[in-house]
Amino acid sequence: MRGKLTTLLFLLPVLVLFGLFRVVPVAGAVGMSLTEHDLGGGWTFTGVANYRDLAGSGTFLTSLRTTLVYVAICVPLTVLVALGTALLLRRVTWARSWFRTALLTPYVTSLVLAGVVWRWLFEPLGVLDHPSLVLPALAVVSVWKGFGYSMLVLFAGLQDVPPDCVDAAKVDGASAWQRLRHVLLPFLRPALFFVVVVETIGAFQVFDTIYVMTGGGPMRASYTLAYAVYDHAFRMFDLGHAAAAGIVLWAVVLLVALTQRRVFERGS
Amino acid sequence: MRSSRWPVVVLAVVTLFALVPFVVMVLVALSPPGAPTLPHALPGSLTLRNFAAVLAAEDFARWTLNTLVYAVVSVAAVLLSASMAAYVFARKRFRGRDLLLWSIVSTLMVPFHAVVVPLLLLVAALGWVDTYWGLVVPTLANAQAVLLLRQFILALPGEVFDAVRVDGAGDWRTYWHVVLPLCRPVLATLGVFVFLWHWNDFLWPLVVTNSTTTRTLTLGLSTMDSGKLGIAELMSAATVTALPCLLVFWLLQRHLAGVISGRGR
Repeated sequence: MRGKLTTLLFLLPVLVLFGLFRVVPVAGAVGMSLTEHDLGGGWTFTGVANYRDLAGSGTFLTSLRTTLVYVAICVPLTVLVALGTALLLRRVTWARSWFRTALLTPYVTSLVLAGVVWRWLFEPLGVLDHPSLVLPALAVVSVWKGFGYSMLVLFAGLQDVPPDCVDAAKVDGASAWQRLRHVLLPFLRPALFFVVVVETIGAFQVFDTIYVMTGGGPMRASYTLAYAVYDHAFRMFDLGHAAAAGIVLWAVVLLVALTQRRVFERGS
Repeated sequence: MRSSRWPVVVLAVVTLFALVPFVVMVLVALSPPGAPTLPHALPGSLTLRNFAAVLAAEDFARWTLNTLVYAVVSVAAVLLSASMAAYVFARKRFRGRDLLLWSIVSTLMVPFHAVVVPLLLLVAALGWVDTYWGLVVPTLANAQAVLLLRQFILALPGEVFDAVRVDGAGDWRTYWHVVLPLCRPVLATLGVFVFLWHWNDFLWPLVVTNSTTTRTLTLGLSTMDSGKLGIAELMSAATVTALPCLLVFWLLQRHLAGVISGRGR
């Protein structure tokens, strides 16, 4: 009996923290998305009305499409740069740890800092004022900030490839591309899956750089889903729609993660 | 062995891409206020005046203090609470253990944006808006920390725990004298990451604080941007904001790389 009590005491801080600040808000978010909130502080249950409003709102659908375009630019770019640098890092022995540290440095700074500095770098190019260039520009910042992390995961994955396999392929006359395609990539599959999922989930939630660099503009060209949640909640004080948009973001992230798992499983 | 040079060259180019923004930031920060500078022109001379101005600004000192409190208190609280729970999850059997652990880990799948509004309303109901309590406490539920520490404790040899049990040590003594010392390397690494996450955090401080006395550096940086400051001063502020993270990382990167890549140590 005392043992049970001790166990409970050990768990208590974490139970309280997660219960209060994770479980309650999740329940609250679902509840809020089904209600309408008036400025007097009252809540009225409206069922799925908020979702129906979002589905009929051009702004929201645009934000959904904008987010998808951003993810479609950002994720392949990040993973390709990460894979490329990881493969190069494997072939380099000279100053390897120095390269690794340098490439990872952007990862430890904040996205706000990245936004402030890159906005200054982009200024003479004017790309942030151009609706069709703003998402690629934001993606560049995201790749800059994030590829080091994926590079490190992929580099670790490459360390697990038995050197014998690579050597055998070399002896058999396989070209560098064939060795990558048939030897390295199959071994890298779990690491690649992890990296793609993490980068996709991260890209769907892009917010800090948008807040700092574009404020959703120009002409809502960078008005993403996460920014829409913020905009609804803290600029328009439309809490019900903000909560519903947040749930949609959550659902999209879950759906994508599950789909990616399926695709990778079928591939193996 | 025939070693080719092109991988080094390509890596050097990518390294340039990674580091140039920092170089530009520092160079602009060191440029005389108002003078032409990067990316339009190279600065003619360098000065520390902008740093002095930024550091002397009262708000900036306050934001730095707030960020330090936010980061350091969070590190201590997360490491303590998460290691206690992780010990129990790794070494105890009780009903509902796996379900509980799974529930905690599954909160990782919820984007913070989806819960930020109800979380803020909850904090408001507690009367914590624009206070240190509101800033710090809701961010202490850190599922990664619980999970990582649990994996580490699971991998510890069971004989150690058997030996202390034979010696008659209870859970508290086992936790304090065995688990914590053995976990020191992973606690140190995790501590650095929690520090970085909080130092760089943006959305939560943005919504939960609204006065200068509770704002953090990243938030200050984003508001300074739209203000009346010159770009040289802004970049000085950015440099000061980045410096602790860069120093911590450059000094400890050997130990951190393993955790980032998910291989433990």
